[in-house]
Amino acid sequence: MNAQTDTQPETAVLDLPPETVKLAIRDLNFFYGAKQSLFDVNVSFAANAVTALIGPSGCGKSTLLRTLNRMYSLYPGQRATGEVLLDGEDILGPRVNVAALRARIGMVFQKPTPFPMSIFDNVAYGVRLYEKMSKPDLANRVEESLRRAALWDEVKDKLKESGLGLSGGQQQRLCVARGIAVKPEILLLDEPASALDPISTARLEETIAALKSEYTVVIVTHNMGQAARLSDHTGFMYLGKLVEFGETEQLFTNPVTTRARDYITGRFG
Amino acid sequence: MSAFAKQRLSRRIGEGVFLTFCWLATGVALLALTAIMWSLISQGVGGFLKPDGGGLDLAIFTKSTPAPGSEGGLLNAILGSLMMCALAMLGAVVVGVLAGTWLSEFARDSRYGKVVRFLNDVLLSAPSILVGLFVYEILVAPLKGFSGLAGSVALGLIAAPVITRTTEDVLRLQPTALREASVALGAPVWRTILAVIWKSAQGGMLTGALLAFARISGETAPLLFTALNNQFLSLDMTKPTANLPVVIFNYALSAYDDWRRLAWAGALLIAATVLTVTIVARLIAREPRRS
Repeated sequence: MNAQTDTQPETAVLDLPPETVKLAIRDLNFFYGAKQSLFDVNVSFAANAVTALIGPSGCGKSTLLRTLNRMYSLYPGQRATGEVLLDGEDILGPRVNVAALRARIGMVFQKPTPFPMSIFDNVAYGVRLYEKMSKPDLANRVEESLRRAALWDEVKDKLKESGLGLSGGQQQRLCVARGIAVKPEILLLDEPASALDPISTARLEETIAALKSEYTVVIVTHNMGQAARLSDHTGFMYLGKLVEFGETEQLFTNPVTTRARDYITGRFG
Repeated sequence: MSAFAKQRLSRRIGEGVFLTFCWLATGVALLALTAIMWSLISQGVGGFLKPDGGGLDLAIFTKSTPAPGSEGGLLNAILGSLMMCALAMLGAVVVGVLAGTWLSEFARDSRYGKVVRFLNDVLLSAPSILVGLFVYEILVAPLKGFSGLAGSVALGLIAAPVITRTTEDVLRLQPTALREASVALGAPVWRTILAVIWKSAQGGMLTGALLAFARISGETAPLLFTALNNQFLSLDMTKPTANLPVVIFNYALSAYDDWRRLAWAGALLIAATVLTVTIVARLIAREPRRS
């Protein structure tokens, strides 16, 4: 054990080929007021792939995710330093139009958050913000989004009913549909299945797997099986640092760092 | 007796004494309420019946306040009260909803927000007679005349803090994730508040407004210094305006039986209105909400 620790690196982050990179994070530090919760994160996420972020509670996975769409900007005490490059453009800069940026980066939350309006209006909400569409075009967009979120068949006869009346799993897929309806480039998923039963989780995972052909997906999850099933790349975080990042298969079968290996084999966490 | 059994006995006695006190206290409160309602209904219902005792008499809703000894109703007072309450609510809803929204969404933890919240709470519990005097000083005295408008301002000043408070409370109950979900779609904050947060909280906000309405509909003191009263039917709110609470106040203290009968009827009318509004507010607040 000790001998191994000596020969193994503290951190190991795989460099992706530049042409496959969609999001590049450079020297990212994050602060909640005076408390620093991300330390010098350097990593890239590939286009049209699913990247999973795993690690124990409080390790900074969600914080990293919330940096990527500037969600933290809502709260005066929170700030980030460093760079997050979306197609080469720094989105942390002061001149960035944050609302327009968020329309390019969708987010699905831990608990389903349907709006208090009809199923149709839930999906159309984001579309109406940025696009002027004829009614039939909008209806098509709503249908297309619901189909891709694998929800269409269950709700096609009750689009006018409230989104609050759906089951938890359906609500979460509604939120996915709402997120992809605005045609974002990136989809951020913050433990999207943690409030769902196993059957709903399986359906949601199918949905996510089908989405990666067109989107760059980043998913935070506590479920390592889910990370292994869904993702192409996985990042393991611990105490605000990115400890290891690599191909999912490699990271789960043959982690390079001791910390990642201990976490994955269940020795701590 | 074993120590265990002793302990059990003493617990039982303690519980019995405590429960008896609870029942007694509840009984006293209910007794007072029943006594009030009983005297109100038994004395007030006469105003809605023909003097000879036979059948409904709608004179209350069709005739204005009479001279002593002649026939009359409360039409001018009912109309005046409705006009003043409606105008007061119009202003109070605008001010209260916006202030409550600001407190909840923009100034939750700021020092200025805390000061405003504290002052609003002070205003919330300020004696209404003070509000009446205040409006008298700033509107009635300088303009040299009592008016329905001044009455509306006084009632609005009482309703606005209630609405501010309830609006802030129900908006704070809306989950952060709901706000973030809307913002994450690229919606600006103002749009998120209008389309998602207000909509999600509309039941609670409406309840708050109805409770504020119930509160001001029986206020007497602020109207004594502002709207005063008017014997005649008048829609002109720049002049003294009749209203139920002040009519009740004057007539209940008068020496004439028919005036006192009208005062009771008016009191019953206000109580029934407040009861109805409160029940409606409860029903709206209980509106099933699945999440």
